[in-house]
This record gives sequence, C-alpha cells and structure tokens, in this order.
Amino acid sequence: MPASARETSIKECNQAAGRTTDGNQFLTFNLGEECYGVDILRVREIKGYSAVTKIPNTPAHIKGVLNLRGTIVPIVELRTKFGMPTVEYTAFTVIILVVVRDKVIGLVVDSVSDVLNIDKKDIQPPPQFGANVDVSFMSGIGKSGEKLVALLNMEHLLVDGDMSESSVPTGEA
Amino acid sequence: MSNDFAQFQDAFFEEAAEHLAAVEEGLLQLEQHPNDLDLLNKIFRSAHSIKGTAGMFGFAAVAQFTHKMETLLDLLRNGQKAGSPAVTDLLLKSTDCLKTLIESAQTGSGIDEETVQRLTADLAGASASDAQPAAAPAQPSRADRTYTITWTPPDWLFQRGLDPLQIMKELNDLGRLAKVVLNTSRLPDLSDLDPERCYLSWEILLTTGKDRKVVEAVFEFVREDSVLSIEECETSSVKPISHSDVSVSRDTNDEQCVEDGEPTPLGEILVESGALSRDTLDKALAQQKRVGEILVEQKVVTPQQVELALQKQRQQETAVQAKKSDATSIRVDTDKIDKLINLVGELVITQSMLSDLGSRFEMRQLPVLLERMAQLERNTREIQERVMGIRMLPIGTAFNRFPRLVRDLSAKAGKKIQLVLSGEETELDKTVIESINDPLTHLVRNSADHGLELPEERLDNNKPEIGTIRLNACHEGGSICITVEDDGRGLNREKIIAKAVKQGLIAEHEKLSDDQIWALIFKPGFSTAEKVTDISGRGVGMDVVKRNIESLGGTVSIKTTTGQGTTFTLKLPLTLAIIEGMTVRVGKETYIVPLLSILESIQPKQGSVKTVVGRGELINVRGSYLPVIRLHEVFALQPEHTEPTKGILLILETEGERVAIMVDEILGQQQVVIKSMEQNFRKVEGIAGATILGNGTVGLILDVRGLLEIAQREEAVAV
Repeated sequence: MPASARETSIKECNQAAGRTTDGNQFLTFNLGEECYGVDILRVREIKGYSAVTKIPNTPAHIKGVLNLRGTIVPIVELRTKFGMPTVEYTAFTVIILVVVRDKVIGLVVDSVSDVLNIDKKDIQPPPQFGANVDVSFMSGIGKSGEKLVALLNMEHLLVDGDMSESSVPTGEA
Repeated sequence: MSNDFAQFQDAFFEEAAEHLAAVEEGLLQLEQHPNDLDLLNKIFRSAHSIKGTAGMFGFAAVAQFTHKMETLLDLLRNGQKAGSPAVTDLLLKSTDCLKTLIESAQTGSGIDEETVQRLTADLAGASASDAQPAAAPAQPSRADRTYTITWTPPDWLFQRGLDPLQIMKELNDLGRLAKVVLNTSRLPDLSDLDPERCYLSWEILLTTGKDRKVVEAVFEFVREDSVLSIEECETSSVKPISHSDVSVSRDTNDEQCVEDGEPTPLGEILVESGALSRDTLDKALAQQKRVGEILVEQKVVTPQQVELALQKQRQQETAVQAKKSDATSIRVDTDKIDKLINLVGELVITQSMLSDLGSRFEMRQLPVLLERMAQLERNTREIQERVMGIRMLPIGTAFNRFPRLVRDLSAKAGKKIQLVLSGEETELDKTVIESINDPLTHLVRNSADHGLELPEERLDNNKPEIGTIRLNACHEGGSICITVEDDGRGLNREKIIAKAVKQGLIAEHEKLSDDQIWALIFKPGFSTAEKVTDISGRGVGMDVVKRNIESLGGTVSIKTTTGQGTTFTLKLPLTLAIIEGMTVRVGKETYIVPLLSILESIQPKQGSVKTVVGRGELINVRGSYLPVIRLHEVFALQPEHTEPTKGILLILETEGERVAIMVDEILGQQQVVIKSMEQNFRKVEGIAGATILGNGTVGLILDVRGLLEIAQREEAVAV
C-alpha cells in the first residue's frame, strides 16, 4: 500500500476514535491537582522513581543524578522548581526523561496521566499574572475537554543556571 | 565509480594523513642526510601513494599537486637534481599545501588558490631547471642524450652462449643506465619451459653522450633476429617517462607495485611487458578506441597478451581496494591480542568452574567459592588492563611533529635550535595523546621563542651557540610525566612580578614564593615578552596549556634557573577512562577521591587542629600546617562527625599545594570508570566526574583543585 493511502487510513481510524491528527501530541502528568503537558516528541522514556545521588552546591530543584544504563542523568524535582510544597513519593511517582538541547534530563512528577492531542486552536498563550507568578517556562494553556493543561516550554524550563556553569558564583561575588 | 569508493574515502583520508606524516618526517631527515637514497625512495613512495589513491577517488587537485611534487622528488632521486635547503623548504611547504588540499577534499573547506598556484609554479620551476643537472660525476653532460631501448633478444640467445648481462655492462660503460626493466611476461609455465630458450626482454633507459650508432654497436652480435628499438628522446621529455619509473622499476613484483596504490594503465603494462613500444601505444591512444582492441587489430599484440595485461590490472585494483578497507582499523600488536585471547580463555575457565560450583553448592564449600571469586576478580582486572592497553599508543606519535615545528621556529626566530626527543616509546591512551598535542606545541613554541636566546647572546653568556630543547616522556607511578626542557635564559622573576603588579594580579609588595611567582605565567593574558611575535607573546597560550592539562586530570609544574633554562613538567594520567579511587563517606553520601592525589590519611589527635582568626583551621602534619577543609561544610551536607578527631583527614596534594580534607569514614579502594557529568548536565565545582558504584547508584568523584578553590573563596567571603 502506498504511504499516502496508509496515512489516510490511519487518519480515518483516528477520526473514528474521536481523535485528530492535527495539532500536537502531549504527554500529560500531574503535580497535585494541576495538569501539565510536555511535547511527546521530547519524551525519551518514563521510569519509576529510584534513589538519586545529590550534587553539592546546586539549586534545590536539581535533585541529583541518576544512573540510566551507564549514563549520568540529572533529575529535576518539578514541584520544587515551581515553588510547590514537596510530597512523599508514592508508587505513582515517576521520572519522565526528556531531551532538551541534546541532553537527557529527568523530571520527577506525581504521576503521568495521558497522551493528549491538542489542536492548535485549543492552545492559548500563557496568561500574565504579573511579577509574582513566573510563567516564562510555559508555552501556552491547552484545553482538552474540561481539562486545563499547562504546556511546558522545556527550553525555558531549565534556564542557564541549571544546566550550564555561567551562573555559578565567582570569587568576586 | 566514485560512489563505489565512497565507503573507502575515510580510509583514504586516514592513509593520506599517514603518508603525509611520512613525507614530512622523511624530508626533515633528508636535511641531515641529503644523499640518503633510501629516504628519498621512502618519501617518493608515500607521495606516489597519495597521488595514486587521490586520483582513484577523484580528488584531481590533490593528485595533480602531488604529481608536481613527485616530479621534483623523482629528479632528486635519480640524481638529476641535487638536494638543497631551498628544495627541501619548497617540498616542505608543498607538503603543508597538500595537507590543506586534502583537508579541503575531506571537509569541503576553502583552499588558498593563490598559494597552490604559486607552489605549483615553484615546483614546476624547480623541476624544469633540472635540464641543468647538478655537478656530480655520474651526471650526464649537456650534450647527453637519452635513449629508450626496447630489446627482445632472439630465442637462441643462450644456445649461442651469449650473455645479456654482458650487453648491459657494455651499455653501462657508455653512459648511465637510468632504468633497466626486465620483462618476464613471455615466460611459460615451468612445465613448458625450455631452459635453453630465452623468453626475456628488456626496456632500458640510457643516458649517454655517445652517438646512436655506438649504442647500436653494442647489440651487434645479437642484432640478428632481435626485436630492437632504440629511440632517442629529449632530456626534458624524459620526465613524464621517468615519473612512471616507480611503478616500472618495481614492476617485476606485483605486490610491491600494488603497494603504490595506483593501478597501472593497460597501455603502460603492455609497454613495460615489451609487447609494444611507447610510440605504438601513443598512436593507439590517439585513435580513441579501446587500447586492447586496437592493438590486437594492428597485430602488435596477441589477444592473449591483452587478456593477461587486463587480468593484471584487475588484480591490482582489487588488491588496492582490499588494502584501503583495512586502513580504517586501529593497528594493534598481535602480541597484545594474543595475550588478551589467553586471558579470555582463563576467564571462561573461571566462569565454568563457578557455575559448576553454583549448581551443587553446599555451605562448607564457601572457602572454595571465595577463592574462585578472587580468581574471577583477578581475571577481570587483568583483562580490563589489557583492553585499555589496546588503546595505548607510543607518545612518539605526538612527538613526531616537533622536529618540523622547531625547524620552522628556528628559521623564523633566527635562532639555532636543536631538538632532542627521548622516551618516545612511552605508551599512553590515544585520547590523551590527541589532547596533549596543543599544550605541548604551546610549550615548545614558548621555549623556542621566550626561553632560548639568540646565538650572539648565548655566546656572550658562555653557552653553546645552539640552544637545546628536550622533550622527554616517562612513566612515573600510575601517571605519565612529560618534560619540555630548554637551556635558555630561564624565567625572569623581576619581570614577572613587575608585569603581574602592572596587571593587578598581585599587590606590589606581596611576599610570594618562587612557585607562586612561576604560577603567575599561567594566568590568562599574561606575557612578559616585550613584543608580540609571530610565534608567541600574545599571552594566550600558557593559560590554555594549564587548562587543557587540568581538564585531563593532570598538572603542570615549572622549574627554572636564571640563565640556565626552564623545565615544564606535565603529569598526566595514563588513561582518562579509569582511575584508581578511594571511596569515602560523609553523612549518607559517598564520594570518590582520586588515589593519585592522596598522600596519606590521618586521624588527628585531640588539639592538633588549630584555628586562626577564629575560623580558618590548620593541622600540623609533620611540621607544616595545612589548611583543613571540612567536606560537609563545602558541600553543605549533614555529617556524622563534626569533631576532626572522630573523622578522618585525607592529606591531598594538588599542583604542589597540600590540603587536609575531613570526611567521616574511608570505605575502601576501587577502580572506577569515569562517566561524564557534562554529557547531560554541566560541570559542577568541586566534582571531577561521576561513576557508577557497585550498588548501581551514582558516585561523585572529587576534584581536589576545585574543592580548594571553593574553600578559599568561602574563607575570603568570611573574612
């Protein structure tokens, strides 16, 4: 079967199931009651939480590093990053491994929920809350039925201070 | 066709680089021994290989340029041109140019057309002037002519008791035999061979002042029934022929010819095999038909002869390709591999013993189990060492570029410099070798430019006119020690201090130890050279050297005596991948300290740790006070002990500075495989890298230098 024909049939299938193939797919996860989404193409894998090794003198949200089949992967505690209170880890606590600027990074989240198709028209720009709520790491607000999904901009989520040396205080500081 | 070769292209570039290095090395040696024919041949072969393969892969620019070089080399080799520094210089420059040409073929980067043109013209000029040959006894005089003699003697040559060797000797008496090629293509199988028949033929290139008739007279007795052609050619027109000389003179040996890398064209093979003369070939080529067909048509050669020649060509082509694909691999001593295979055999035996034991294990066999586990550990460790050994290369590969560098530097700076290399056979990891190239180059440049004085100044100071730079490598414990030593003026203490004060690096009357002063030259932007030269003096360099060496986990130290010279010592780990480490614990965290930096570990007595200004802690270790760094403070951890007497102090050394680091407990010693933190994260101050511990979690490797810097900074903030 020619490729175009196959694509059409997949599309039909999806439409029959109430899904659309337009727009982007997002992996959604929960932090408390809130729902967040990351671009599915960035997600490398999802794994259960396992103990990490702390890295000294790093921001609090850098939880530590993990051995991922021989490579060292930094783990970011999203709750701390967003200034939310930390919670006990449960069986649902997982690490989502995402690729940002060719680096693999793990995000600790309360639980993963779903893969959602969100149409471009259902995505609105991030709201402006003023100075006290930082939304620079959000790329937009997605609507999926009644659900509100805060879509994360990974490039901005991990700013230079986290991933590069530039913000390390120097002697003159 | 080029598509078929695409997969071999990498091999070509790799090999071309090797050949280039060989050419360069050869040329440098040639300066010392201008008459070494072996050397010239070696250079020529390498150049020829580059030309051949470049042509095959369609890098016309490379092939053409190499061809020009080759022409000049060939003249040198044949003695038609005498070697001179100017010629060597030209050839070296051409080698550089060729290097850029090859690079541009590889990366598609731009080339300096002007330089290529100029050098091409220079090469052509140098080759053309060979018409006035150098004055050597064997050289032909101006009136000399060159004859190409193709001689196929009659079958009955031996039956009449005539010796071809005699004829060669006579020819030699007439002038100079530039080339004698024996052609054995008519030789039948041994079973069909009639020992009294002559199947041989010759192609002879004779340079002589004698008349054609005199040459013909030599063949007087064999003239009858012989196929003899004597063609006179202009000396200048000899060139194209003599350039093909390499493949020709070694034609009798197929493998050697193939080593040249260029399949000989069909026509050439036929000419060499004596089946036809070059003239006939040229005519045939001019007709733009397949050479073989035309020749058969003209009944110059038989179809069998063509078939034979075609076969030969095919053989060469396949052999060349086979050789190319080999070149992509690393060269490892078979010795090393044999040992590895033995070890793997042992490992397999140990493994089967263990599984045998495991299948019917009883508690009373525990000692046996432990013993075999120990054996397994021994095997694994040894295999690990041997496998790492495969990556080990002699450091000579890094040293080889320096003779050229020093030669150029001495010419530029007007100094007389002699370079002495030693310890080239010292082995270290390939990646380390690659990454010390730049630092070493900086150091050698530095010695040549700043260290060594001008010849007059040296003579005034009662020193030999020729300055010496020594490069030495040796093993020292688990690390490798490379020294760059010069016998120049040494570092100038006052100058460095003055400059450092000017740049605000130190206060004017600060008391500094010699080592601290010498360390200043590693600061970025620091240079005491009065004027910036082409070679160095811009003040970038030494800091780069230090940074590069430290990023390899090594150290740089300086020893200098005014007026006597300076020695830079680089200490590097043998390999970057694995280090011997001590695992230590602070609170719940485990860290690894590189064993190389640990001098000793002590448990301090009550009251041996003193404080100054209420904060800075010092400990007296055998008479000297060392600063104490509490790891838990630097890393903000929750320790088990806060009292130094309860914990353990590790005395560490880095770049000549000693420091005591306080930890809770020493857990043990183990080899750790270094993993990069930067791959997915970033560099963390005080952490050199990470590793996977026995339980699968990540352990962090301490960077002693970094710890010291953090501690010093915190103290500065506190004060």
